[in-house]
Amino acid sequence: MKRMWSRPGRNVIAHALALILVLIACQTIVPAKADDAGVHVPPFERVQLDNGAVLLLMERHDVPLIAFNAVMRGGALTDPAQQSGMSQLLVHLLEKGAGKRDAFAFADALASVGATIATDADTESTVIQGSFLARDQALMVELLADMLQRPRLDQTQFESLRARQIEFIRAAKDSDLESLTGIYGKAALFGAHPYGRSVIGSESGLAGIAHADLERHYQEQYGADRLILAVTGDFQTASMKRALTQAFNGWRKAAAALPAVTAPARQTGRRVVLIDAPDSVQSYFWAGNVGVARTSPERASLDVVNTLFGGRFTSMLNTELRIRSGLSYGARSRFERLTQPGSWQMSSYTQTDTTQQAIDLALSVLDQLHAQMLDPTALESAKTYVQGQFPLALETADEWARVLADLAFYGLDRGYIDGYGEALDKVSSDDARRVIRERFPTRDDLILVVIGKAAALRDSLRKYGPITEMKLSDPSFAAK
Amino acid sequence: MPLRPRMFSLPALALSTILAMQLDASAAAQPDTQVPGAERIESVTLANGMTVIVWPDHDIPNVALYNWVRVGSRNEVPGITGLAHFFEHMMFNGTSTHPPGDFDRLLEAGGARNNASTSNDVTVYQDWLPRGSLELVLGLEADRLRNLAFDPKVIESERGVVYSERRLSVDDSNFGRLMEQVQATAFLAHPYGIPTVGWPSDIESWKVEDLKKFFATHYAPNNCTLVLVGDVDPKSVIAQIRQHFESIPRQPPAEPIRTKEPQQRGERRVLIEADAQTPLLQFAYHSIAGSDPRLPALELLMRILTDGDASRLHRSLVEERKLAIAADSHIDAGFDPGLAWLFLSLPAQGDLKGAEAAFDAEIEKIRTQGVSAAELNRARNQALADFWRRLATIDGKASALGSYAVLKGGYQKLFDAPHAYEQVTAEDVKKLAVELLRPSNRTVGVLTAAAAASKE
Repeated sequence: MKRMWSRPGRNVIAHALALILVLIACQTIVPAKADDAGVHVPPFERVQLDNGAVLLLMERHDVPLIAFNAVMRGGALTDPAQQSGMSQLLVHLLEKGAGKRDAFAFADALASVGATIATDADTESTVIQGSFLARDQALMVELLADMLQRPRLDQTQFESLRARQIEFIRAAKDSDLESLTGIYGKAALFGAHPYGRSVIGSESGLAGIAHADLERHYQEQYGADRLILAVTGDFQTASMKRALTQAFNGWRKAAAALPAVTAPARQTGRRVVLIDAPDSVQSYFWAGNVGVARTSPERASLDVVNTLFGGRFTSMLNTELRIRSGLSYGARSRFERLTQPGSWQMSSYTQTDTTQQAIDLALSVLDQLHAQMLDPTALESAKTYVQGQFPLALETADEWARVLADLAFYGLDRGYIDGYGEALDKVSSDDARRVIRERFPTRDDLILVVIGKAAALRDSLRKYGPITEMKLSDPSFAAK
Repeated sequence: MPLRPRMFSLPALALSTILAMQLDASAAAQPDTQVPGAERIESVTLANGMTVIVWPDHDIPNVALYNWVRVGSRNEVPGITGLAHFFEHMMFNGTSTHPPGDFDRLLEAGGARNNASTSNDVTVYQDWLPRGSLELVLGLEADRLRNLAFDPKVIESERGVVYSERRLSVDDSNFGRLMEQVQATAFLAHPYGIPTVGWPSDIESWKVEDLKKFFATHYAPNNCTLVLVGDVDPKSVIAQIRQHFESIPRQPPAEPIRTKEPQQRGERRVLIEADAQTPLLQFAYHSIAGSDPRLPALELLMRILTDGDASRLHRSLVEERKLAIAADSHIDAGFDPGLAWLFLSLPAQGDLKGAEAAFDAEIEKIRTQGVSAAELNRARNQALADFWRRLATIDGKASALGSYAVLKGGYQKLFDAPHAYEQVTAEDVKKLAVELLRPSNRTVGVLTAAAAASKE
């Protein structure tokens, strides 16, 4: 592939690594892209039940499918410090038996009608996504209500799932190093702040979770007041609303309060975390610092500048690391925007021998961003690109379900979608320069993470700052 | 794939063998399988032999354009392995009218994104654009078919890019390493044994002459199928396409692939010792071509084995016996008979012998006892729901139309798919299992953790 050549069986890796891949998908829940060509939020109905649950209903009749996106506030934020992966494990366990069905009966009920349910945790939420044929909507409501309100949390299922989650992390270390840099990176960047927690957990964190801990976590962290449920697709709003109200209005509230999260501090200076993968032939590197929150009013400017810097194929970063030098198959940058400021990060990979050359080049591209007067043509190009790609992320019922839930989660109104094209149009060179100065770190303030052959890399990485070393086989993503 | 976070699909997470109540009502309960808008599809063949298929869909103001070129690693020989894939990269790197970099720069400035992929059989070029950029994109697509040029400096840097891609997906991935070796072992004669990304020494040494010859042979309009889905009017877009593409001269067709893989007469095995924590097992059975009418039955057979938590291999090996952490499958459905793959990932220090024995027992069971009506119904419904999910986007429609048109005997067959799944009987599935899933018809790949092995 131009970016990722297509190989059969890639889905197997996806299967083994579903945790990690979905994490990536969830971080991009709301398109960081723009509107222009008339994309607006279609009509939908919002209902709040007495117990606090929020329902969002949008009809879409183009194909006979219904999608839902059930978001629970909490997520990895609520994982106990020594038990990372708790939220992820719990949400996976919800479909291993619920209501009148044991794990097999539940799985069979879904598959027999061609439905899918996917569960996942994120930094500050857990998510259940479903896709059903329209004719099976009653079953859909029943299964979702059972998962959330009547999960069996069976001990045997718990133990086998916990063991498997640990093995998935080991499998990722064997076959997908690139997917791990961000997990090590955020652990190093945020430290003890909850945004540094590995959503998928770690080998040691998962091993430290007992069945009773998980049951308590369910009581404390699940409840109607935490739920935002978006349902979109081929149904009639009135009857869907009736069915959902009936299914959810009896649910209790969560026993614990949602933990308050403070804004993480931006890091100054530069330090290095080196993770030794002695058998690897490439080095996978990640450099980042604290960025901005989801509600940042600078969103459009940041999207345009990040697109220019590392958000598309002809970005400055990809041009240097791939197109001009051939050092790497790809290089990119992105913001993760949460309730509080999340990370900004750039990442790439190259063969072991050219690691220093590639990192130096990435840093010099960052220098260019800070030093350069932005070319007005490039700015216009990035604006058009973001606008042109925006509708492609707002096409299907499941995409709209994600967007509706996300808007509600962050307290954003429809202007976040409807007004984005206009916001992009207004981005000026001055706006771009200001966000570069204020929101993009310089080469001097970065956490640098490298997974690779430590014996060959150690000496050359010293010049970037003090090095903390770890082994890929260490059972935690955070350095001791 | 640095810039495309969208397309990871979760494995379907569900299934099982308990008889659901409304089971045999499946036919009656089928939703209308008429695909809305399918009657508006228009297809033409240009005077130079290029096939064009247009499906108007005005849901969003965008267009998905796929150009399917009938060339893949199947068309390679020793010395130029990986060339079809490398060529895919070079198609973005300059023409006699546009210097290297222009294609991506102009496209992105027009609000469009692009990508491409190469398989054993085909190379597919994709653009996703706002409707207003259609003229721009058609012009650039025609230009690179007509005027491709090769800058020696760009060839060298792109060689590095492709090698990095290989390191990422094969050399630093135990899964990729094993699959490459199994595929190479399964084929003694047919070029399906060639890894699409190419052997390292070939990546290092192919020459500009190789590229020129490859372009002249395979990148002819009569070897291309252009699919557009989205916010367009078929009549006017076809006129635009004629204007841009019809004068590109037709070329003599490429030499057909004559080699047929001789019948396998006994199991083959490949062993890799790696610095790994988690062992892997892969099973590759010689299978059928994409145009084979038994393909729907094979798809249902593989779903029964691995699709979701209630599938046979998942339930038995992952859930009940805990010998594996994941069971999955893949069918190569190309021009020629390819491989049907089954994969097991094992836990650290996993029992390779035990897992293989349990796998063999499940395969033997399906070959001797066949499948139940409930399982078959479940697999059908999964296939039907996935059919609708694929047709929910302009991208999915373009991909589906193209793959049916090029590899499965005509785009119209896409719309027969729900009916074709309905027609498959339990006997069809069993027959295929008996015929294909024989030990003597397979190559087994084993990846062991060398460190753990040497400690024992």
